[in-house]
Amino acid sequence: MHDNIVDRSKDISILEALDRVLNKGVILTGDVVISIADIDLIYLGVKLMLSSVETMEQLKSGRSIKEIQ
Amino acid sequence: MEKMIYALLSANTDQKEVISLLAGRKGLSGADLYLVSTAEMAVVACDIKRADIIANSYNAIEYASVIEMLAQHFTLLPVRFGSVMESADAILQMLERNLDDIQQNLLKVEKKYEFGLKIFCDSEKLKADLKAKPEAMSKKAETADQEITQSIYRDWVNKKLKEHRLEEMLLTYVDSVIAEIKGHLCMLQAVSKFNKMKTATMIIDAVFLLDMERKDALIGAVADLQNQHSSLTFVLTGPWPPYNFVDFTVK
Amino acid sequence: MSENKILFEAGSFDGISEEIGKLTSNEESRLKLTPDNADSGLAKLVLTLVELIRKLVEKQAMRRVDGGSLTDDEIERLGATLMKLEEKMEEMKKHFNLTDRDLNINLGPLGDLM
Repeated sequence: MHDNIVDRSKDISILEALDRVLNKGVILTGDVVISIADIDLIYLGVKLMLSSVETMEQLKSGRSIKEIQ
Repeated sequence: MEKMIYALLSANTDQKEVISLLAGRKGLSGADLYLVSTAEMAVVACDIKRADIIANSYNAIEYASVIEMLAQHFTLLPVRFGSVMESADAILQMLERNLDDIQQNLLKVEKKYEFGLKIFCDSEKLKADLKAKPEAMSKKAETADQEITQSIYRDWVNKKLKEHRLEEMLLTYVDSVIAEIKGHLCMLQAVSKFNKMKTATMIIDAVFLLDMERKDALIGAVADLQNQHSSLTFVLTGPWPPYNFVDFTVK
Repeated sequence: MSENKILFEAGSFDGISEEIGKLTSNEESRLKLTPDNADSGLAKLVLTLVELIRKLVEKQAMRRVDGGSLTDDEIERLGATLMKLEEKMEEMKKHFNLTDRDLNINLGPLGDLM
């Protein structure tokens, strides 16, 4: 019985943490859309459109996409 | 190699301390965690290949626990799981573009923690209770009930009207509970946000931002509220990094 | 993360974890458009918007009826229209094999549509 309560509390803690880390917090523009396994992450199919706009802008400005480490 | 970003920190943070805390902790793909910093800000990141990011609860919790660990020592803005940038350069540019917003948000959450309060009740049962209350039957409601129904359409409207009134009463009740919570909170100087009716039984989902030393006072306030509302179940959790108090959109 | 984050919980309300879990399991409420399901995907999108508007209209209508400013005749016609609309919606849902839960879209950072 006691174990059940501990498990349940842990369950709730984990679910609360998941709700936060998946649905809240700073969203960076470089966000990936991932939908694998048991979690479904955010956003509709807007990402594709956005990244093609991004590529176009880069082509226009002639900026290279090279990393600076 | 892309960079997965965990948190945004102020530059006032003791960077040596961050680095020593990060030592030995691995990021999602087993890569080292490190700091990318400018004069005004810093982010905690790790290298990762886009293809290696597996979005399952295990990884999300691992990711959250790094933020959690950092938040225990520093003021930070937690980043949502799945946030990846192309390069260190892209991170620096992003920091530059959003300098004001990030600093303002960091200032707002400085040395504060988030606490979550969820209030559950069987809303069908609550509706039945509300229905039983004498004031539920207003004069208007009585006349509507007594009217000789002319048609199935009129019946339908009357049925919908009853549902509508019950919903309004439920909302009024939820609002009164929120007002009561706010009354208890004003002593704690907490910033609060309330969501109503997230699911059928979660009638209130609230978050508070407050100083750690007021934690016990908050627990006391919630215990008081629980005593006054035996039909509701209060669940208070925390302290959390300030996930719900990030109020800006990254440009 | 093994830490217990619960600071206060009294009584025992079953299904709390289930309810909190609903906040993250939005698999069903996500809009997936692929070539294979384009038909039902589009139907889902369109019906979601129609349902949203229908509910708003119904809510507004009930407010007006409750306000007492409508004549019996007006209420009668309103009832006829809204009732038929509701029936039509049920037919459409059945036709495209959609449930009430399907007719919602998770808008990511904005939360659920309904």
